[in-house]
Amino acid sequence: MRATLAPLAAQADHVSLTAQTRIIAAALAILFMVWILDLIRRDRLQERYSVVWFVAGLAMLAGAAFPGLLKFVADLMGVRDTNVALFSIVLLLLLGLALNFSVIMSRQAAQITRLAQERAIERAREQAAREALEKQLDGNAE
Amino acid sequence: MEQSPPLRTLVFIPAWNEEASVDAVIADVRAHLPAADILVVDDGSTDTTTARAQAAGVIVATLPFNQGLGAALQTGYLWALREGYDCCAHLDADGQHPASEVARLLTEVREDRADLVIGSRYAAQPEPLPGAEPEGEDYRATLSRRIGINVFRFILTLATRQRFTDTTSGMRAANRRVMKLFSESYSPDFAEIESLQLAVREGLRVEEVPVRMLERTGGSSFLTPLRSAFFIFKGLIVILVGLFKPRHAEAER
Repeated sequence: MRATLAPLAAQADHVSLTAQTRIIAAALAILFMVWILDLIRRDRLQERYSVVWFVAGLAMLAGAAFPGLLKFVADLMGVRDTNVALFSIVLLLLLGLALNFSVIMSRQAAQITRLAQERAIERAREQAAREALEKQLDGNAE
Repeated sequence: MEQSPPLRTLVFIPAWNEEASVDAVIADVRAHLPAADILVVDDGSTDTTTARAQAAGVIVATLPFNQGLGAALQTGYLWALREGYDCCAHLDADGQHPASEVARLLTEVREDRADLVIGSRYAAQPEPLPGAEPEGEDYRATLSRRIGINVFRFILTLATRQRFTDTTSGMRAANRRVMKLFSESYSPDFAEIESLQLAVREGLRVEEVPVRMLERTGGSSFLTPLRSAFFIFKGLIVILVGLFKPRHAEAER
């Protein structure tokens, strides 16, 4: 394990990340994940929606710890500048997340509509039943 | 031949802040369709629409918040389906749709000539019916509305290979096949057009009947030029996507 990771870490020089940025990025990634855990703990974020954020936090941490990874991905993409690779990956990720939210939102909008309709129908039923009862009572009174 | 039991008919009226006209519309429906039950679907009005309709003695389904015309119409179809009506019709609450014309649409459905009947302002006008002639001025569309209507007419005709002249008409009559389909899937964003496309795709018989409509008596049209453009854009997407939507299980025939 150590043997495979060492060269990746050693490649830090080839990537334009200084030790300082790497430490800041790693700290931010850890803070970010702690924040997510706290949100789950306080019931502000449901587990099923937290996974994607947690993965993003881990990826950030991995990028900070092993800058070679970034270089590796940049090479895969055929991008010479790792910064460009980093930005495009992050942008694509955010785009995907935003779309994911739109999908979730659409589903929930449909659910809310159906809920509203069911409630409206229940109220109409209630009104019909009440009026039928009143009619019956009026009929008995005569 | 044994006499079939009378068909139960529901007329529903989607209304959003239509307190000025809902009474008159209910009275009109009662006058021309005395055998039909009436349901007002209040789409989250902030005025007294619900109270006025209840005072007029009809059942009201009140949505807790405004959901758009499509959701309101779907509520009506759901009610019709669950309460076991044989056919249903809906008309706008702003007084543009004379109930006498709705009655003609319902006749088409009752006599099983079509599953879904659309009241069209623009199809060739029939001779004015004696005794059914609405008072007041006939309907005249504004320019932006005419443009939108023509675009939709063209595209929907392409998409369905059936000629429609009035794609956005809110005056329709339907039987139980349509109730089943529309209570399941009805686009909240683009009710009028997508529903037509859907019905044709599901193999239902959709027919247009020329009707007369009046100038609105209350409320105001929601269409401004900018909104019209957005409306048209959304409509194009809806129709385009509709072409590639998976077909439902064969609609019951």
